[in-house]
Amino acid sequence: MAQLNELYDAILNGNAKQAHAATEAALAAGTPPMELIADSMVPAMDEVGRLFEAEEYFVPELLLAGRAMKSAMELLRPLLVASGQRLAVRVVIGTVKGDLHDIGKNIVASMLEGSGFEVIDLGTDVSPENFVAAVVEREPHIVCMSALLTVTMPAMRTTIDALTNAGVRTNVKVLIGGAPVTSQYAREIGADGYSENASGAVSLVKTLLATA
Amino acid sequence: MNRQFYLDLAARGLCMPIGTDLVMHEEREPEMVRNDGVALGRVIERAARRWGTPLAVPLMDLRLEKIDLLALAGVAETEAERFHFTSPLDETVLATLLGAQAVPLCAGSTARDEALAYIDTLPDLVPVGMAIGPFSLTTRLLADPITLTAMAGSGVEAGDSDEVKLLWQCLRVSEAAVLRSLRSQILHGARAIMICEPTACSAFISPRQLKAGSNLFERLVMEPNLRLKAALEDAGCDLIFHDCGELIDPMVEAFANQLHPVILSLGSSRKLWEDARLVPEDVVLYGNLPTKSFYSDGAMPIEEVIRRRDELVANMKACGHPHIVGSECDVLFVPEAQETIRRKVDAMMAGSAAVAAGDLLARI
Repeated sequence: MAQLNELYDAILNGNAKQAHAATEAALAAGTPPMELIADSMVPAMDEVGRLFEAEEYFVPELLLAGRAMKSAMELLRPLLVASGQRLAVRVVIGTVKGDLHDIGKNIVASMLEGSGFEVIDLGTDVSPENFVAAVVEREPHIVCMSALLTVTMPAMRTTIDALTNAGVRTNVKVLIGGAPVTSQYAREIGADGYSENASGAVSLVKTLLATA
Repeated sequence: MNRQFYLDLAARGLCMPIGTDLVMHEEREPEMVRNDGVALGRVIERAARRWGTPLAVPLMDLRLEKIDLLALAGVAETEAERFHFTSPLDETVLATLLGAQAVPLCAGSTARDEALAYIDTLPDLVPVGMAIGPFSLTTRLLADPITLTAMAGSGVEAGDSDEVKLLWQCLRVSEAAVLRSLRSQILHGARAIMICEPTACSAFISPRQLKAGSNLFERLVMEPNLRLKAALEDAGCDLIFHDCGELIDPMVEAFANQLHPVILSLGSSRKLWEDARLVPEDVVLYGNLPTKSFYSDGAMPIEEVIRRRDELVANMKACGHPHIVGSECDVLFVPEAQETIRRKVDAMMAGSAAVAAGDLLARI
C-alpha cells in the first residue's frame, strides 16, 4: 500500500526517479502490474488532469507527470506482455502529413497512456496511408490526429477520407486537436471529436468509448 | 531611429497586419520568392504599400536561424527542421556552434538580408528585420523542450542531468546564432528588428514553478534577450518584441519594462487595454486580432472580426495607450482559405487610411 501511495505521489509531483523506484519496490513486494496501473497510475493522472483543468497545473507539470508515469510503465510493460495481458483500449496517435510539430501530440499521448490506454504513437508527418495501415494492423479503438499549422490542417480531412476509402472509418473514433483546430472544423471534416487540450482529450476518449 | 517615430505612427492611427506571407503567395512561384532577395524585397514593399505602413515587415520565417546554426555543425538544410540534439554537446561541437562562423548563411537568410538592402533604398519605408528569439530557438533544437525546461524549473541543474545540461548548452548556441542573424540584418540595413519568442510562455515555462520562486524565466528568456537588446542599441537598431504565446502578467511586465521595446506585439489571448497598465507609455502595443483563426468562417466569422476590431479600437482609445491595430502573429497563407483570410484582413483594415510618414522619417 505504501508503494502504491508513493507511486501516486511520484507521478503527481512529476518525479520520474521516485516513480521508478516505487514501482520496483511494489513489484518486488508482489503487487500485480495491473493493480499498480489501476490503483496508482490512473488515479494520479486523473488528479493531474483535474489540477490542469483547475489551472493549478500547467503543460510543464503535465509533461513531468507523464515522464514519471512512463518511467513506471517501462518496468510494467514487459511484465504485461509476458503475462499476455494488454490494456483494454488502444489509441493510434500522430501528427498529420507535412507537420513536424509533436509537443501537443506528445502531451496527449502521455495523458492517454497515463490514463490506462495503450498508445501507439506514429510520430510526426504521418501520411494518410500510414494512418490507414496502423488502423488495419493494430485495430485501435481511437485515432487521434494533431496539427499545429493551418497549412497542414487539410491533411486531417485527407486522412479521414483515406480511412473511409479503406473501409475502416467506422471501426474507429477519430479525434483531432492542435492550436488552429476548432470543434467547427472537426464537424466540417467528419471527425468524431475535438479537444483543445490534453486533459480534455482524455475525457473525450472516455466519453466516446462509453457511447460507442 | 527613435521611439517617438513609433509613437507618432500609433497616434496617426496606423493599422496593419503582418501579412507578407499572404502577399508572397499571390506570386506564381511563392517558394522561389522566399529565396530570391530582390523578388522578396518587392513582395515586402508591396505588402507595406498595400496596408499603408512605412514599416516594411518581412516574412516571419522562424526556421532560418536554426538552419544557419545547424549548418555550422554540418547538418544539411533539408534535415534541419527534423533535427534535434539528444545528448550534451562535446567541447568541439560547442566551440564550432559558438565560434567559427565562416559558413555562409542559408538561401532564405541571404534573401531576407538582400530584401532588407532593397527596402533600404526606398526612402519612404523602414527596413524591419526578423529573428527568432534565443529561447524559442532553443526549444526547436530539443526533442522534448518542455520537459527539460520543467526539469530545470524544478531545480535540476546542468551538473545533475545531461538533459538539463543540453538545455543550457542549446540556449548558449541559440543566443550566438540569433546574434549572428541580427548583425547580418543590421549590416544589410535593418533599422528595427522584430525578435519573436512565441515559446516564452506558460506552455513552456510553468507559472506554478515561477510562483514557487524559480528564476527560470529570467535565465532562459530575459537574460539572453537583454544582451541582444544591448547589441541592437549599440548598433542603433530598434527592438520590436513579439510573443503570441499564452502569457501571465509578470511576463508581459518583464518584456515591456526590462526589454523596453519600441513596439510590443502580443497574441490574441491578451486584452491589450488591460495590459496597458503593465506597459510603459512609451512602448507601443501592437496587435492583436485573432488572425490565426481567420481561415475558418465557423470559428471566426467576419462579423466577429469586425466586432473584435471595434472593441479593441474603442478600448485602446479609452485607455489612451499608444497602439497599432494589427494581427496577433504572421497572417499565414492557408490553402483552400486564401479568399476568406483576405476578406477578414480587409475587414480588419476597413476604415483605416494609409499613414504617410515621410515627415516622420525625414525628422530622424
